[in-house]
Amino acid sequence: MFDVLPDRLAWYVGGPILGLLIVGLFVVANQPLGASGAYVQTSGLIRRRSDIVVWRVWYFVGLFVGGLLVTQVFREGAEIRSGYDAMRDVFPLWATIPLVFGGATLLGYGAAVAGGCTSGHGMCGTAQRSPASMAVTATFMATAILTTFVLRIATGGDL
Amino acid sequence: MRLNIIGLLFGIAFGGVLAASNLHEYDTIHAMLRLDEFDVFWFMASAIAVSAPLLYLLERRGMNTPFGGELSLSRSMPEKHHLQGGALFGIGWAIAGTCPAPALVMVSSGAMLGLVAIPGIFLGLHLRERQQQSDQHVGDGEHRMAVTSDR
Repeated sequence: MFDVLPDRLAWYVGGPILGLLIVGLFVVANQPLGASGAYVQTSGLIRRRSDIVVWRVWYFVGLFVGGLLVTQVFREGAEIRSGYDAMRDVFPLWATIPLVFGGATLLGYGAAVAGGCTSGHGMCGTAQRSPASMAVTATFMATAILTTFVLRIATGGDL
Repeated sequence: MRLNIIGLLFGIAFGGVLAASNLHEYDTIHAMLRLDEFDVFWFMASAIAVSAPLLYLLERRGMNTPFGGELSLSRSMPEKHHLQGGALFGIGWAIAGTCPAPALVMVSSGAMLGLVAIPGIFLGLHLRERQQQSDQHVGDGEHRMAVTSDR
């Protein structure tokens, strides 16, 4: 709408801001700035469980709203599209959908087994100097890079 | 009530930073994992470089937080489930090119395949929860689910 933000914020601006947000949530509520927990609480709300952490659901909504503000209000505004451009260049839509769904299911399951994801373990856990979080982070970085390499080989270098 | 507003605001700020850095785009994550571009690694490293020393100092000073008692960091030793979960997460992350927080921003940016990724993440988390009969391990890394109510 207003187009005041650059196309992409430089990492040396975005990264430190995120670091301050991580500190901020600890300072205010002594809680990590994770994301999978917010999914767990939101799915608890959908299934009408009574023991959910309500503020994590608001946080879940906030993530969506924050993305909306940046991409649609402070930038020119993005139109409805499929996304996944690099994958769509290689695979048709009928193959992209199960790949994305299957990958997402696997990462959700893995996050639940590990007890956190890129934000909870990768950034907040590592920032707390937790050996478990560092082990999770090293493991998922390694398997992700390896998987990307395998996909690249399997598609003849296209993906 | 007040904690809900704080949660919403932190969510907006986090989602905003992810969107501004284009981390919601499959292409960004894919280029990172292909090792074509190191910006996201630097992004994560600089976030940790800023937060780790500050958290260390605040914990040492025994800071009292308004909503969560004394600021305390949690550290645990790696167990088997950390490595197994991390390995699966990495494979899924590479295929789907997104993770829980950026997937939400993906949808707000208009990329409709995010609507395929989000239910997948819910399903994956749910499958594990059902298997375990408890959500003991499900959380935010060094997790704590103690703050349940507002005061």
